[in-house]
Amino acid sequence: MKLVVIGAHLERSDIEPVAEAIAVSDLWLSGMQVEDSQPVGDRDLLLRVAKARATLLDRATFVAIRYGFTAHGESDAFGKCAAHIDRWRRVLKEFRNYVEMTLKVAAAAPRTRPDRRDFESGAAYIRALHDATRAAEVAPEFRKAVDETIAPLAVKHRWANRDTSSLEFAALVKRDAVQSINDAGSALKRDFPNVPFLLSGPWPLEVFADDHE
Amino acid sequence: MSDADEELSLLETLDHLLDRGVVIAGEAVVSIGDVDLLYLGLNVVLANVDAIIRTSQPKQIK
Repeated sequence: MKLVVIGAHLERSDIEPVAEAIAVSDLWLSGMQVEDSQPVGDRDLLLRVAKARATLLDRATFVAIRYGFTAHGESDAFGKCAAHIDRWRRVLKEFRNYVEMTLKVAAAAPRTRPDRRDFESGAAYIRALHDATRAAEVAPEFRKAVDETIAPLAVKHRWANRDTSSLEFAALVKRDAVQSINDAGSALKRDFPNVPFLLSGPWPLEVFADDHE
Repeated sequence: MSDADEELSLLETLDHLLDRGVVIAGEAVVSIGDVDLLYLGLNVVLANVDAIIRTSQPKQIK
């Protein structure tokens, strides 16, 4: 059997009985036990994990681990996670009552994605892809509105270019600020009816799980 | 919630599941559909270029 890992948690009681719990040092990993022969790309497994992830977040904040990571028991899990444990413990204690919210917004002038066939080397293609992604920008007045209405409700926030046609604003917020963020999102929808964006959350610690402070 | 909203919510949930969170070095499974095509047990981290550059830059945190 293998554990398809969902996240890292402070307490065992944050996990059970929603998911399986295995110890890694003084922290706990949540996950789904499946047969070794079970492909992690299986659609039903993916949906089960997604559902469990949401239920776990209702119980307590955790560090999200990207889908696809599996472990065979405690010693295997510890061996693979040892380098992360101190940081996870610090982040989990500091942000136990916080969640993330994200706002994806379409770029004002989407950049054309480079075509690999136009480049002689893979490195040149990667550079061009990166440049095109970084060049995407959101309408300045919309960005200003987000910075003035949603950002002040967050303890941390960050804009990031996701691809050539969209940007993402991520915010770390107290759990009791989620409704205020959603209200601010509704106001943005009203004030900017022609700007396509999606405000979503709450999410576990994803963007801010790697912050070193 | 309308069907369209539910579909959007599911897509967003799957996007976060597959493309967010901590990447553990040495584990990667490349799949298409329900079939795992490749298992990479390497001591490397696979990530998109923007994520690498983003995390290597000074933090832009309020």
